Amino acid sequence: MSEPLRSFFFAVALCVVCSVLLTAASTGLQRRQEHNMRLEKQRNVLKAVGLITAGKPLAESQIEKIYTEKIKTFWVTPEGELVDAQKRADADLPLYVRLEDQTIHTYAVPVESDGLWGKIYGYLALEKDGATVAGFTVFQHSETPGLGGEIEKEWFQKEWIGKKIVDKDGNFVSIRIARGEAGEAVSERMRPHTVDGISGATLTGRYLTAGIRETLESYEPVSIRFRKNMIGVP
Amino acid sequence: MTPAPVQALRKTRSYKAVARALWEANPISKQILGICSALAVTVQLKTALVMSIALTFVVAFSSLIISLMRRAMPRNIRIMVEVSVIATLVILADEFLRAFLYDVSRQLSVFVGLIITNCIVLGRAEGYALSNPPWRSFVDGLANGIGYGSVLMGVAFLRELLGSGKLFGYPVIPAFFYEAGYLDNGLMRLAPGAFIIIGLFVWLEHTLLSRKKRR
Repeated sequence: MSEPLRSFFFAVALCVVCSVLLTAASTGLQRRQEHNMRLEKQRNVLKAVGLITAGKPLAESQIEKIYTEKIKTFWVTPEGELVDAQKRADADLPLYVRLEDQTIHTYAVPVESDGLWGKIYGYLALEKDGATVAGFTVFQHSETPGLGGEIEKEWFQKEWIGKKIVDKDGNFVSIRIARGEAGEAVSERMRPHTVDGISGATLTGRYLTAGIRETLESYEPVSIRFRKNMIGVP
Repeated sequence: MTPAPVQALRKTRSYKAVARALWEANPISKQILGICSALAVTVQLKTALVMSIALTFVVAFSSLIISLMRRAMPRNIRIMVEVSVIATLVILADEFLRAFLYDVSRQLSVFVGLIITNCIVLGRAEGYALSNPPWRSFVDGLANGIGYGSVLMGVAFLRELLGSGKLFGYPVIPAFFYEAGYLDNGLMRLAPGAFIIIGLFVWLEHTLLSRKKRR
């Protein structure tokens, strides 16, 4: 067999073998991977609403137990009403609610923001006053490790707790990620709405600020109802 | 006096290959390979350890597989074949990590791609596996992985200790140091700090090696 022909057949055979191996691994492990992803999302929701603390690893079964006990998923209509899963329409947005004694304690919204290198996925939880941030977590991103990647770290996320998304007059202002430390550059008035940025990751901060604003805007109808204390558990 | 079996072991070619890769021909300090990932993953000891293990696995098995194929592989497409084998191995490793060690895989997710492009893997494939029998290629891969890993852990040890006062995430600098005014060295957490440490390692090793030769 001529040299180029032999090379061709060898290359084809190699491609087939590699493809089979990779496909087998991918499909065979898919269920486990999806399970892990789902668990990770649950863990993030629990952390955002304050039911678990960082640094304390929990067993799988514990996470699932706490989640099924305390968190309920509702759907938000464009008018800001909460509906059950059965009554949801396609345009409705999900809301993860932490229930204490049948009343809503905190609620978490899923964040899907553009990032520098890819999408940033996380959860932003708000207190039942519809104005104060209860927690913020990031569970998937493609930012540079050590720079934008710091958004998944505890020090960055815990800054968000207690910040306000509305100003003193009740206008929606969202949260801004400062450039570097939110020091003297941030006015006294804006301080409750600003978190420390990451030095070397200005762009990630800008993208995330815009993404958070967009997400919170789409959930404003229901947040307004929370502020007016007009929310009923369906 | 070292016992006879150990002395016999020291004379075997496999042992010599491992010893070489650890010190005389260390991938990072002597061959100056794999630097980019050495900068990225050495901020913490934990990530450095996982990266070392992952890379050792990839180098060892890719060298083994390529060595097994070395007679059948047409030489004119050999680089493509080597890269395909390496890439397949790395993706398999990533899939398994995401299925069974999810937390770890999240930390490593960006670096897994970096392993494919890590010069050490292709370097050993071209430089050793193509012209050596399978078992020795496997051992060579292991040795280079361990050599790489040892430098990685050394750099990470210094970077984590000086940069965050911790080792493997556990604070080791006593509180009264901080109260007395001690500050974590921020430079150590960034790439330039890693460059400096690696440079110092290379210098140290070259110095010690040349001193040994002169004796």
